[in-house]
Amino acid sequence: MSAEKHPPKWALRLLEFFLRPDYADEIQGDITEAYYWRMEEESRFKAHFKFILEVLKSLKPTNLKSFYHLSLNTMIFRNYLKVAFRSLLKRKSTSFINIFGLSVGVAAFIFIFLYTNQILTFDDYHENKNRIFMVYKERITPDGTQETYDTWVPMKDRLTESYEQIEAAARIYDSEARIKKSNQYIEEDIIYTDASLFEVFTFPLLHGNPKDVFPNKNSIVLSVEMAKKYFDKENAIDEELEIFLPDEDTTFRFRVSAVIAEIPENLTHQPDLMIEMEALPFYGDFANEWGNSFLDTYIMLKNGGDEAQLESAFPELVESIFGMETRENTNFKLLPMADFYDTFIGNKANARTLLWIGIGILFIAIVNFMNLSTAQASKRAKEIGLRKVLGAFQGQLRTQFITEAFVMSLFATIIGVGLVLLLIPSFNAFFDVTITLEVFSLSEIIMMILALAIVLGLLSGSYPAFYLSSIGAIEVLRQRLGFGGTKFRNALVIVQFSIALFLIACTLIVRNQINFMTQKEMGFDSEGLMAIRASPSDFTDSEVGMNKINTFKTELASKPYVKEITKSRHVPTFWSRSFTFVRPDEWTGDPLRMRFTFLDANFFDTYGIAIKHGSNFLPDTEGDQRLSVILNEAAIKAFQFDPNEQNVVRVGETRLNVVGVVEDFHFETLQNEVAPTLMLHRTAESGAHRNISIKMDMSNLVERIEEIEAMWNDLGSTREFTYSFMDDRMQILYEDEERYLGMVTMFSVISIVVACLGLYGLTLFIIEKKRKEISIRKVLGAEVSTVLKLIFGEFTKWVAIAFIISVPIAIYFADDWLQSYYYRIDISWLTFGLALVIVLALVILTVGYQSLKAASANPVKYLKDE
Amino acid sequence: MSLQLGTLEEMILIILLMKDETYGVEIAKEYKNQLGQSISLPAIHVVLKRLEKKGFVNSRMGESTPERGGKGKRMYQATNKGYEVAQEIQHARTKIWSTIPKLNFSIA
Repeated sequence: MSAEKHPPKWALRLLEFFLRPDYADEIQGDITEAYYWRMEEESRFKAHFKFILEVLKSLKPTNLKSFYHLSLNTMIFRNYLKVAFRSLLKRKSTSFINIFGLSVGVAAFIFIFLYTNQILTFDDYHENKNRIFMVYKERITPDGTQETYDTWVPMKDRLTESYEQIEAAARIYDSEARIKKSNQYIEEDIIYTDASLFEVFTFPLLHGNPKDVFPNKNSIVLSVEMAKKYFDKENAIDEELEIFLPDEDTTFRFRVSAVIAEIPENLTHQPDLMIEMEALPFYGDFANEWGNSFLDTYIMLKNGGDEAQLESAFPELVESIFGMETRENTNFKLLPMADFYDTFIGNKANARTLLWIGIGILFIAIVNFMNLSTAQASKRAKEIGLRKVLGAFQGQLRTQFITEAFVMSLFATIIGVGLVLLLIPSFNAFFDVTITLEVFSLSEIIMMILALAIVLGLLSGSYPAFYLSSIGAIEVLRQRLGFGGTKFRNALVIVQFSIALFLIACTLIVRNQINFMTQKEMGFDSEGLMAIRASPSDFTDSEVGMNKINTFKTELASKPYVKEITKSRHVPTFWSRSFTFVRPDEWTGDPLRMRFTFLDANFFDTYGIAIKHGSNFLPDTEGDQRLSVILNEAAIKAFQFDPNEQNVVRVGETRLNVVGVVEDFHFETLQNEVAPTLMLHRTAESGAHRNISIKMDMSNLVERIEEIEAMWNDLGSTREFTYSFMDDRMQILYEDEERYLGMVTMFSVISIVVACLGLYGLTLFIIEKKRKEISIRKVLGAEVSTVLKLIFGEFTKWVAIAFIISVPIAIYFADDWLQSYYYRIDISWLTFGLALVIVLALVILTVGYQSLKAASANPVKYLKDE
Repeated sequence: MSLQLGTLEEMILIILLMKDETYGVEIAKEYKNQLGQSISLPAIHVVLKRLEKKGFVNSRMGESTPERGGKGKRMYQATNKGYEVAQEIQHARTKIWSTIPKLNFSIA
């Protein structure tokens, strides 16, 4: 018989270990016999499979040995526990440092884990996440590629018809809806989409038919929050909603056809209201529109579909739609769902860095435990020696010390979890995030806590257990024990210092970058600058709306506190995403793709943007200057224009005269370079504008805002009064960075506190160890300062080594992070100097008091024992 | 006398009555033979322990064979009490069965 024809040995051993001895033979024997029988009757595979299944099934409680019969000696085990508790209580200060440090570390780690878990599992909820892609376009320009993510209405059908490896596709157009509720309009987000969205993404329905989510032309799907908000119940099927769609300037009645169940927070798409794109009356206008691209197209490949293969087929598609010329400079690409977060929302790398910081904090706390318990060796030596004399094996002692580590880490973990539960609301409020333990079930949480406690116990207990148990009984009893494990301990302390230095340096660098961005001149004067949203589409009748907005503007302009006023389509921080193709006159190369926006003649004065060359538009009273354009410096550079000449650019066949050039001003975060922009003139009365900006006198602000709000409300718009100050909007641009800085700072501080705690404990031991040395030195005439130098010398050496280790690592990481910013700071040596000073200061503070006390103590006190 | 006997318990008790003395694997084979369904050994073991507790079977340790990996068999034998219970169930069942209305093919 070959070996593989036997039942697996491990399974039998498992039975041997756990089964009641009086049942064991029967069960093992029967199952083994049945294995051979089945192998003849059925197949080897089936026999094997059934064998394992039967082994597992046999391990039911009635068949098991009672706990006491397991070959664990419970008596000694209880003794370990008892001793563990006793030693915890006996050394209160070290136990406190250990447990407190570890629980803070655990709490910090859990916070970081919960937060980063949310980010790192972003969009994981969608069952087909590995097969979902967003189709986007890439424009190949002489200086690299430009990605844009909006696509055309007919794109979806074209894709599904052309490629059979696409299982389903869906479009999403984000828009806004004003829901009419008793003569009031409430703004909500709405998406125009396809029923196939429910095939591609995972949006389980609470009510409604998943096979037919949009049964009628006026069907609407709600999120459960919306159902509760508007109908006070979850089952809102067949209820009606009256919605004004500002994009289309019309009001529709919709009937609820389905309600989506609650979905996790960490999804790119959080639809509240969904209507079917094709059911809209104006769909026909866009159905074959290959000119304007404005919506997202998502595809789901069939199982086993290859995205690279699909991408390689796209150039053909581009050519068949747009012709040969476009094929040269445009391509379609697929963006995997896993990259949505990095592309549209934030930065997963930051989350990963945070996770490392969390592990670093835990490590610092673990090191504390290792250091303190080995340092205590001399104190516990008698206990160890006695146990050995009484016949304890090294293995038993090891178990004992590991038990102690477990008891401690279990305590610490439980306290840490308690801290997390207590502080989650404050954490969420402070960082404006929504982390929760509810994403895990209770059993998962308990498993994780136990796993964490076991890992912590093993990590922190293994070295001390190994070290302490190896102490020889004779050395102990002769009191010859050294202050063992010194080298290893020093190395650990150096690692702690390195982590602390690294974190401090990184915090300082992140802080400097954010300060740099928020304080850098934006190129316009944001003081007292207020932007009010005002668009004709905010009114049920846009003709009337335009007139009303103009009245509103005239009224505003007449107020004494309004110093300047302008109307524009976009404002900085909410800048144009519309692009057009421009080529300078007599330019034969490819046209350049550029942003364009509309503004009135007063825009540059209101925003305090300097005109560098040429002149501003003529005053609005001179009428629409449609054939004039003002460029920013970035555009001049892109066109390689001589700014002093009369230049002409062409958009299609239209020739535009460049009348002026303005200084570059930043209209979005400094993460990006200032993009070339065409600024076209429209008079203040034009319907192209969507914002009114005013430069105002900032005194009595509250009353004035109330006054303006009252004026707006009189207009009868479907939009609530929406305003913001440019200064605030610029802050909001850096919200993510500020949050990141806040977290990095907080966790750095925690790691340093924990490290200092450990250092404090270690100092106590070192001083105790060196007490006699200090006393003798003093008797022989040493000054207090000499003695202090003795103690500090060692710590300074450690910090110096840690500095050398951490600087290159910090430079590497910080540089990597700064790479993503176009306008970035240089890493300065001052930062590292400051970090070093901070750590040294903390070390001196931590070590100082105890050292001073030791150095100035009366030497007689410690010498008279002998 | 209690007639509390599950279907599987009853089947295995009957198999035990068929044989003079038997053990787990043989019961499994016989079960498959008679009913055309396979059954797992842990299920048989549970039932045997339960029957033994109720006093319908008794057991002794038997000899070992090489294909059992050198482990002994536990041989089971039905008791008189077991026989009575099984018989009683059969009687009761036959009685109830007889009360089921017979198929009637007459047109009236």
